Amino acid sequence: MTLTHLNARGEAHMVDVADKQETRREARACGAIHMQAATLALLAEGGLPKGDVLATARIAGIQAAKRTPELIPLCHALALSKVSVEFRLDTSQNCVHVEAFCRLNGRTGVEMEALTAVSVACLTLYDMCKAVDKGMTIDGVRLEEKRGGRSGDWSRESAPESDEIAAFNEEASSVANTVTIHFLAELRERFAIAELTLDWEQIPSRDIAGIKLALIDRDPKFKALLHQRVLCALNQAMSQDDAPIAPSDEIAFFPPVTGG
Amino acid sequence: MTIAIRVQQTTFDVGAEQLALTESRCDIGAVVSFTGWVRDFNERPDVTALTLEHFPGMTEKALHAIAQEASDRWSLQGVTIIHRIGRLEPGEAIVLAMAASAHRHAAFEACDFIMDTLKTRAPFWKKEHTESGSYWVSERQSDREAADRWEHS
Repeated sequence: MTLTHLNARGEAHMVDVADKQETRREARACGAIHMQAATLALLAEGGLPKGDVLATARIAGIQAAKRTPELIPLCHALALSKVSVEFRLDTSQNCVHVEAFCRLNGRTGVEMEALTAVSVACLTLYDMCKAVDKGMTIDGVRLEEKRGGRSGDWSRESAPESDEIAAFNEEASSVANTVTIHFLAELRERFAIAELTLDWEQIPSRDIAGIKLALIDRDPKFKALLHQRVLCALNQAMSQDDAPIAPSDEIAFFPPVTGG
Repeated sequence: MTIAIRVQQTTFDVGAEQLALTESRCDIGAVVSFTGWVRDFNERPDVTALTLEHFPGMTEKALHAIAQEASDRWSLQGVTIIHRIGRLEPGEAIVLAMAASAHRHAAFEACDFIMDTLKTRAPFWKKEHTESGSYWVSERQSDREAADRWEHS
């Protein structure tokens, strides 16, 4: 095996592809951006300040694929015949999965284009959502498969994830419990409920944001918890969306205070 | 430094509270007290009554924390905070904040601080009743600004 971007003297160079046969080349790459549950919910319903996040990120990914040679020094400029960028919102892992597919008839592969499309789509998602969530992480950017060319077809072996999921479920069931939610003042009247309990397993993430999502999952009326200037107390102390929760915790949602 | 916090339905006697705060002490040179009263006009011009809701447990904790913060900022001999809950009518006293110190400036400033902070941090909610219906009172930008100025002083 040799690194094709290094010449005989070990210097970086662009591979001369003039004599290579044109073949159909395809590549599929994936990545994900993880965020707070509440951010994902806002994204899903188009409630983010910069507008239609997914449409913008899709265009950004496609544009980026076409400009890959301007970013990656020794990459050839390619006349791509197809670029697609797809998103899948995953509330169980609080992330957006990004998948890019590139195709052309040419002399070099399109892996870099697919990876660039995923990367820039993720960066655009970050940019579009950062006003509400600066802790997002972009991860798992990788090539899933490629077809065509001298090195032939390649596919990432799908790693079994069942062990991890089983371990997670076991942990959850061993601490099976509930959290109590109170609604006070105007929120109690708006929701027509003063108190309810959530099963620990129903909460998608172990923080206040996860509580909000679990409530919205139970009844869409609780979306008001995301939009309004709603305050939250965790065990009677003011808390933010990212405050971690534990079984038996007492959580209260209420409007801004107006005493005195 | 003595802190007295009460959340109650019944009214309070400012004179009695001041006596209780200063009783058998000779190191207090100043007591400043603020009493809030229910007006008959607020968001609408014809308020006939209001109902005050609180969050039992958290409200007392929050008031205690405010009193403690005041005594961290100024040299105080005592703080009393009393807030009423339930249904109140115009002309009734609703809240009492009292600060005792050796000198007046600390007592004035501490009392001012306690009220500004109470209005934005203590879990109380007012519902106003009028001839044309009842509504929950909205937070006020001016209250938030008043509380904010203590953040930078």
